[in-house]
Amino acid sequence: MQEIKTADYRVWADGATIHYEGTMRLSGTEAYAPVQDMMGAILAQAPAQIVLDLTSLEFLNSSGINLLAKFTIEVRKAAGTGMAVRGSTLIPWQSKSLPNLKRLFPDLELTIA
Amino acid sequence: MSQTFGHPEAALPAADSLHIRLCDGIQHMEWPQAGLTADFLGVFFADIAAAQGADSRSARHAIGYLVNELLENAIKFRVPGGEPVLVAGGVDEAGFAFEMHNEATVEVAAHFGTLLEELTSRDPGDLMIERIEANAENSSSGGSGLGILTLMNDYSAEMGWTFGDKGASGTLDITTRVRLPLD
Repeated sequence: MQEIKTADYRVWADGATIHYEGTMRLSGTEAYAPVQDMMGAILAQAPAQIVLDLTSLEFLNSSGINLLAKFTIEVRKAAGTGMAVRGSTLIPWQSKSLPNLKRLFPDLELTIA
Repeated sequence: MSQTFGHPEAALPAADSLHIRLCDGIQHMEWPQAGLTADFLGVFFADIAAAQGADSRSARHAIGYLVNELLENAIKFRVPGGEPVLVAGGVDEAGFAFEMHNEATVEVAAHFGTLLEELTSRDPGDLMIERIEANAENSSSGGSGLGILTLMNDYSAEMGWTFGDKGASGTLDITTRVRLPLD
């Protein structure tokens, strides 16, 4: 199992499901590169579906939203891999900003429960 | 001559407001201070917002997101050792009001002004999607302007900026004013 862990957040992959937990407010694209690489490596294995589980990701800054958005476009462009994003109604940014991913990739399955 | 972008007229509530000065002196201004300050303002105003009928959790998160985004920019583009960044907030029946003053070099201000002109010219939702698609073509792009666009589009924030005149030190003061409706 791959894992990136700091005092503020934890990201780990379990098969083609990537879990995010805590507060991610990294300073930009370079700081997010290890997380981006982990996501890219899973996409490179061409699974039928990639799941982003954000249900424990309390805070995410706009650089992190950019990371999710760019990845959504990568999956859209990769034929044969679908994408599901899971959010929580208890975490307000998710209901506000995750619908933008659906706008980028209408086939994406977005569940905020 | 001063320049304005967006809707810079939104003012802080006259009666109650909280003011913080972040100095780049002995305690250097560093990245985590954006998040810490944002979380503090979020916690500080959540119950006050709840007393005005807003949802406390939504208010804490929305205020935290707003303040963090704007302070991250102010810290990233600050003049090292320059004037403090001043932030102030207040809550009234119309939501959260926020004001920030930060010093910028003429070069930074010119670049930021060009960006703001674009960001305030069209529908923020359409612009956000277009800019994300353009960013995706450039793997190193950090999504500049995305924070402001999410605030305007996802949070319905009304935002405005005033750029002051160039001072003797060759820098200028940028005032950011925001009105954030609370759910």
